Order: sequence, then structure tokens, then C-alpha cells
Amino acid sequence: MRVSRSDGLVVGDWPAWPEVTAVLEASGAVLAWDVLAGDAVPAARVHDPARAAEWLWEVYGSAAEDVLGDADDVTVPEDGDWSVRDACRAVAQLDWARAWWPASASAGVPALDLVVLQAERALALSNVEHLLDDPDAVERALGSVVLPADPDLAERVAALAEDHGIDLSPAPAATRSGFALAAGGGPGDIRTTVLTGTSTVDWMLVPAGSVDAAAPAEWAVVRREGATVVEVSVAPGPRPEGPLVARFGDVEVTLDEVDPLGRVTGSAPVPASVLLLPPDRRTVIVYAPGFAAPVAPEPGAEARQAAVIAYARSRVGSPSATLTERTAR
Amino acid sequence: MSTATATLPRGLVIARAWAGLGDAVAPLSNAAGRPLTRTVKLILDPLVLRPVLNPEFAAGAVAVEHVDALRARITGAGPVLAATAGWFVVVKKERRRLRITEGNPQDLYFQRCFELATEHGMPGLDATRAAARVLADVHTPEGPTVAGLRDFVSDEATAHELTRLIEATWAATRTPPAPVPAPTAEFLATCATAPDQALFHALVTAAAGSVGAADLDRSGVALAHGLTDQDRPARPALGARASKANLPKPFDRSIVERLFVPLTNAFLRTGLADVPALVRQEISRSAGSWQLADEVSRVVMLLGREASTGLTGDSPAGDAQARLRSRWEREAYVHRVLRMPSSALHADVRGVREAYLRRLWVRVHGRELRSDPVAADQVWDVLDGVLRSVILDQRDRLRSLLEREAGS
Repeated sequence: MRVSRSDGLVVGDWPAWPEVTAVLEASGAVLAWDVLAGDAVPAARVHDPARAAEWLWEVYGSAAEDVLGDADDVTVPEDGDWSVRDACRAVAQLDWARAWWPASASAGVPALDLVVLQAERALALSNVEHLLDDPDAVERALGSVVLPADPDLAERVAALAEDHGIDLSPAPAATRSGFALAAGGGPGDIRTTVLTGTSTVDWMLVPAGSVDAAAPAEWAVVRREGATVVEVSVAPGPRPEGPLVARFGDVEVTLDEVDPLGRVTGSAPVPASVLLLPPDRRTVIVYAPGFAAPVAPEPGAEARQAAVIAYARSRVGSPSATLTERTAR
Repeated sequence: MSTATATLPRGLVIARAWAGLGDAVAPLSNAAGRPLTRTVKLILDPLVLRPVLNPEFAAGAVAVEHVDALRARITGAGPVLAATAGWFVVVKKERRRLRITEGNPQDLYFQRCFELATEHGMPGLDATRAAARVLADVHTPEGPTVAGLRDFVSDEATAHELTRLIEATWAATRTPPAPVPAPTAEFLATCATAPDQALFHALVTAAAGSVGAADLDRSGVALAHGLTDQDRPARPALGARASKANLPKPFDRSIVERLFVPLTNAFLRTGLADVPALVRQEISRSAGSWQLADEVSRVVMLLGREASTGLTGDSPAGDAQARLRSRWEREAYVHRVLRMPSSALHADVRGVREAYLRRLWVRVHGRELRSDPVAADQVWDVLDGVLRSVILDQRDRLRSLLEREAGS
């Protein structure tokens, strides 16, 4: 692996995009895996070599010494006891899943059970507690755990909680999010569709699970009752959190209704001049106010999202995946 | 390539020696077979390796010529460690039977189990009785309580007298100590890597912390530090009650509010002074520089103020400043990778330096109450740990803000 020292101490190739990055914040260094690359050995950014030296051998074996020395290229041995490294990966993988798991009814990626995720995450953290940046990470994680339904997982996480003097509460009965949407305009409107299109929803701009990760936002410019309006709709994800807004040109459309197909929709008047917009500017940017500011997606977002969706599908039911991913449904 | 070095990471040496102890120490190990964090912190370090007496075993790198000795020390302690593990299982079982749930069992019992193991070896037939004695001892309520505090200040005559005491203490003229050049920058330059005890001591004897607090009484200064919402710090009220949520800024807290949080933790309040003494001490503390009593704490506040200058604005001068800045910048990246809501959109999570100084004050105040002054070689852990906890709480708050918005 390459070791670069020009801009801090960096080992290996750092993942290029947030949505493929699984990170672990360890003491003195941050570890990162590119989930699509499938490497067992992570990249590392070492910011405090003295602290990292205590445990870096668990990740790079005998190469750790060279990393902390002055080597610019190191070979991590294949053989060794990598149980702690694998445990680090499990924590990072669960944090990745919590952030980027692309639940999508349209692409057939089932939603994760967050109760399972929080329990598994607390257990995974307890295996690597000794090398974490946050010495109270396990307690912090246990704070958001409720007892999962899976008896084996429940027993293990209850024992962990007991070891930390924390009482777990049983999971509350599942309720739908309190986010209520008004029913959309009824049928029978007399309308003429002038222009339609679809735009990929940039995951960076909306909370995890708020929209169907694979379905694009659909928009239409229509004439109705003598006015020109833009209508936007997106398919909701497993956890539709809070209002979404779509920006079309300079017009903001609040998506606060539900259409008969269950999609989250909204409409707003637009000047007729939108019809003169060049095609590359006829796009919508869907975002959650309070979560992110609307910006145009980085190039290649669509292809990266497709790759992550394919990856997530491969994790469901896979014996090598975390329990959380394996049992998504 | 391999460079010939004459040291090994201590974590590696310990892990290998620990692996040799086998399943007998499993209750003190994690699922990967490594000793638990608290096994190292509470048992191996203070009771087996004792780096204070054996500096060659201190955290960091171990010279190869000491590796065998370190390993031998752990292997030699194998029987007592196995017995400690055995006792820990017995104590936990008894704890469950007695339905005790408060406190972290590792924190509370590890060292007691080591004592039992040293005295009795492996737990025998009457082990349950010994375990029950330990539990009774550990869980006997001790020290002042919130109820005691509330009762004390609810007596009208006492409250009146205490209010007069606050007025008198605050009215007493305080002559600011004469300013002397303080080597704060020199101390901060190496406190993360090689803390200089003599320099720290010099800062304390020169009352650098008190001197540095002089400007807090000027208009807007304490406000800009995030320590108050007033233009200048005002005399605190005695107060009658408090709640953990919505505590005011440190200098705006009543005397009761200042004592409230430290008293809510059953294990931290052990060893605290009794309520009347505690209240009078707090009144006198509130009128001191930084509203703290010990010069050590005041120096830590001063160091924290200087170290945190790099959190905002241009890139900082000084090693501690740069390290804190780097943690803060790292957070911006991690924030994005964890798909957190943008903090730029939420006014109440801005102001990292103010939050930092507030948290630092609460931490050194708590250590004053427990008579646990910050030592020179702990300063960096405090300065860095406070920023970490500010950042992690900010993450929690952003997550819950988002959920609240979703619910509204």
C-alpha cells in the first residue's frame, strides 16, 4: 500500500465519495473502507502517530511499524489474527449502512431495521472499544438501543448493557412517522402537460431513508386554469422525515401532498418563460431544508448511486454481511 | 521494507501476553480476546504493570529489552487475574440477583475483585457472601444528595443568611494580581506530546489563570466566551431548584444549579464535602477568578481559551491549537460521510469555541468539587477530550433536531 506524507500521513487509497465510504474514528487515526472495493484492509489517515501506534498493528500487522516509520510503500501480510480489524470493519459498515443504505421499493432494496442496527452497532463497538477515539462510545451507543425482537441479539445486547450499568427499554410498537401529508388535488382537474422530465435525487441533500433511493424525481410543467405550474413528485423511502422541497430553476416547490400513487408531491406557479429554459437547466433538485442546501449534484452521481444500490442488494441475505444488512426486509 | 527499531507498541506486547492467559480471563476480555479498556485502565496499569514505579512499562512504545519483563509480569499475574475474572463473574451474578442496576460494573467492581483475588485466590464456597459484602459496601449511599441540598436551601433563615453571604463575598474588593508574562504558549507547544511539568507549575505559581481572567469583568468579554448571556457576569442567586435540561450558561447559574449536576451522580458524589460546606465553598468559588477556586483550574481555563483560538478563523499558531483545529476539520469530513444534517443550517449548534469553553468550565469545576485537580500530563487529555465531547453532543443534537423537524 502507498503511504503518503505530503498532506498528513495517509495509508492506501482514500475512498473518493462519501456514499461509498465506511469510516471508523479510532484513537489517533481515522480508518476508511471503500464498500464497493471490498478490501479487508482499510485506508488510514493518521493524525496522532503516538496514539495510533498502540493499535495500528491490529490493522496492518508488521507493516504498521513501517507506516509509522518513513516507508512510502508497505506490504500488509496476508496471514495473521485480523479479528480486531474485522471488528473495526463491522462498526464502520454499520455506520455506512445507517447513513447510505439505499432502501428502495422500486429497486427492490429492503429497508434496514434500525432497532437491529443500533443493537448490533453497540455490540460491534464493544469489540473495539480499546482503540476508539471516543472512550465512551459504547455507553453512547447503548443510549439509543432498545431491545430487539431477535432473541439471540436481544440477549447479547442486554448482557452488554448490564455490563455497563444501563437499563434497556423494550422496543415500542412500530408507529408510522408523525409526518402527515395532505391529500393531493382530486382528479378531474382539466390540465395540459407541456413538458415533463425526471431528475436523480442527490442522496447528499436528503436524510437517509426519506426518499426511495432509486426512484428519480418526476416533474411536469402543466397549464391548468389559465396558469402555468410545475408539479414535482418523488417516491418516499421507509422513513419519510419532514418536508422536502424541490427547486426547479428559481422556483421552490414544497412537496407536502400525497398523490393517489403514494408519491410525495407539490406544485408551484412558474412563469411561462420556463419553457424557454435550455434542456440542461430543466432539472429539479430535491432537498430537505434543515438538512442541506440545494446544490447541483456532483458529476457521476447517478452511476455511483446505481453501483451502491447493486451492492446493497448483494448484501441482503449474504452470510458475509452484518446481521443488519443480512436481515433487511 | 523494514526498519530495525528497538521498540514494540505496548498494546501489542500486552495483547500477546494476555492471549497466553487463555479462557480464564475471558470475563475481562472483549470478543476479539483483547483485554477490555477498563481491564487495562483499572487493573493492568495501576495494579500489575504500575508504570509509576516501572516507567519502562508506561503507555507508548516499549523498548525491546523490557518486552520480556512486561510479558513476564502479566504471565506472572495470570493466577490472580484469573481469580479476578472469577470474582467478577460472581459479583455480577450477585448484583443481578439483588437487582442492582446503577453504575458501571467494571468501574465499580474491577479493583474490588482484584483485591478479593489477591486475598482469597479463586472464589470458593462462600464467595457469594463476600460478593454481597462488596456490593453492600459499594452501593451504600454516601455523600451529599440533591434532596439534602434542596432541604438545606429551603430553610428560610438559612437561605437568607446564604444570600447575605453571596452579597458580602461579591462585594469584597478583589485586587487583580499583577500581570506577569506567562509561558502559556510554551506549555501548549508540547502539552500533547511531552507535557512540561515545570512550566505548568510555573503557570500555577505565577497565578497566570487568575491574571488571565481579569478581562472577564469587562463589558462583553465573558459573553463572547460563551460563559454568560449577560454583558458582564452578575452575582449569582442562591437558587432553589434545578433541572438538567435548560441549565443556564455557567456564570448565570445559581449556586444550587452549580452543585446540582455533580450531586446527581451517586458515584461521583462520594467523598464530596457535606451540603453546608459545599454550598459555602461554592459561594466563595463563584466570586473567584473564572468563578473557580483553584489556581490549577484557572490555568486550565486560560490554556483552553488560548488553545481554542484556532477553532475559528485563520489557521492557528501553536501545536495544541493546530491539533484542536485538526479535530474540528476532521469532524466536517466525518459529518459528510455519516450523512449528518448540515450544521451550517442550525444556529444553535454554531459557536464551537463558546461551547468548548462552557464544557471546559463544567469539567474543571466538577474536578474541583471532587478534589481531583488536573495534573500537567492530563491537561492535553482534558483540552482534547472536551472538544471531542462538544463535537459528539453536537452530532446527537443535530440528529434529534432533524427528528423533531420530521415530527412537527
